Amino acid sequence: MAVSPVQVGKEATGEWMFSSSCSHLCVCLGLPEQTEPPLNTPENREYLAEIMFETFNVPGLYIAVQAVLALAASWTSRQVGQRTLTGIVIDSGDGVTHAIPVAEGYVIGSCIKHIPIAGRDITFFIQQLLRDREAGIPPEQSLETAKAIKERYCYICPDIVREFAKYDSDPGKWIKQFQGINAVTKTPFHIDVGYERFLGPEIFFHPEFSNPDFMQSISDVIDEVIQSCPIDVRRPLYKNIVLSGGSTMFRDFGRRLQRDLKRTADARLRLSEELSGGRIKPKPMEVQVVTHHMQRYAVWFGGSMLASTPEFFQVCHSKKDYDEIGPSICRHNPVFGIMS
Amino acid sequence: MPAYHSSLMVPETRLVGNMALLPVKTQFKGPARGDGVDSDIIDEAIYYFKANVFFKNYEIKNEADRTLIYVTLYISECLKKLQKCSSRSQGEKEMYTLGITNFPIPGEPGFPLNAMYAKPGNKQEDETMRAYLQQLRQETGLRLCDRVFDPQTDKPSKVSLILMIYLNFLSGVKGYLIKYMTQSAAAVAVKIVKFSRCQRKVF
Repeated sequence: MAVSPVQVGKEATGEWMFSSSCSHLCVCLGLPEQTEPPLNTPENREYLAEIMFETFNVPGLYIAVQAVLALAASWTSRQVGQRTLTGIVIDSGDGVTHAIPVAEGYVIGSCIKHIPIAGRDITFFIQQLLRDREAGIPPEQSLETAKAIKERYCYICPDIVREFAKYDSDPGKWIKQFQGINAVTKTPFHIDVGYERFLGPEIFFHPEFSNPDFMQSISDVIDEVIQSCPIDVRRPLYKNIVLSGGSTMFRDFGRRLQRDLKRTADARLRLSEELSGGRIKPKPMEVQVVTHHMQRYAVWFGGSMLASTPEFFQVCHSKKDYDEIGPSICRHNPVFGIMS
Repeated sequence: MPAYHSSLMVPETRLVGNMALLPVKTQFKGPARGDGVDSDIIDEAIYYFKANVFFKNYEIKNEADRTLIYVTLYISECLKKLQKCSSRSQGEKEMYTLGITNFPIPGEPGFPLNAMYAKPGNKQEDETMRAYLQQLRQETGLRLCDRVFDPQTDKPSKVSLILMIYLNFLSGVKGYLIKYMTQSAAAVAVKIVKFSRCQRKVF
């Protein structure tokens, strides 16, 4: 199918989207588990159920929210005793980045924020930087070249001015060579990769580099999201910030986020202590960003993890129920996964 | 999102207009004294230049920032000229000519950022500002030649060429939108209101 499923933020009904996302689920699990974006309507779920049961004839179905699955996937990086379905999920793919707070397995829908910076913007920014400087890239391949450079050489730095100084003092160590092949003439071309290595992903933290309308850094957005959530859930949210999606795979992304958020939280606590004249002494905020090696496919991995538990069979909707009652059984999917 | 600001502001700095008259390590004559400072405003401007060109908004925190901005904008002018120079001696000559050119000062119609800079109050301040800015320009031009030209080959080094390309991101020097922030009575009042809300915000 020509349209890429990842371009659609919300799943639209249609059979084309399932071929890529559910076929491997069907094969691995026997019983498919489908995913949905957080603010999906119950009618959409009914359509989904209809298509799955009628067209694909699945024996059972469970529709899970992507953010909850990403949280489940993060359990691979911690001990069994600490499993929790409360946390904020930063899902960054190719099209858009979401910050989704989840409390006890239920998404706090009114506090979700979208950030218009994602993988595609980074690629475009790198393409612009390269276009002015390197003459060797064939024009029709410039976007793919930028993408390859982004995936291979980019990382997140703690401070851009210091990185500039590092690159200037020792160019041989930091500036890399990239070799590509011209698709038409099959001759190789070489380019230097310099400042783009850290400037590309930096647009997460300084969006104004590439987007004139959006100025807020991703750490500020996350902070805002947590502050807009109910007060009793804020500390657990700070403690469990989970990354998912391909664009969070940059080296040190988690560390930089953690550092920025810790600074903001500490500054706020210090301000409250100051303004109260020393009477209020708040407990220091524990900020933790969780990264793990399945981050790129975190949603899928979480789904397959949860679907392989015995509890799954109790919560998924069976074909028998569908035949008897109809698609409305799939409107509500109960949360499961925290085993005692 | 913050761009990089100057850290050289001290309360006893002389002000000319509303720019800080900071000391500069220079041989050129002018109001600024070069009294043994390790890193002066020109070093700062050059160090932060590469990062600052990407920012579309810049918040002026103090008067030293205004001096920093002036030097940054002048660096971009220099680089445009240096792009065409093929050797260090030619570069130095161009920089000297550019330095003594009569650029408009704050208050004059040709100055691009008149909204953020104050006009000099009297004739004497006018003279001081002109002399100081000329001194800054000449010293900046000289230091840039050191950075841009490779000492062995006497040609602009590739790394500095990369730097020049980033001038595109300045998107017209006059497009630099600058926000002026000040600790006014309004800001203090906001803090008081925030405190009463803050008591409920503490976790």
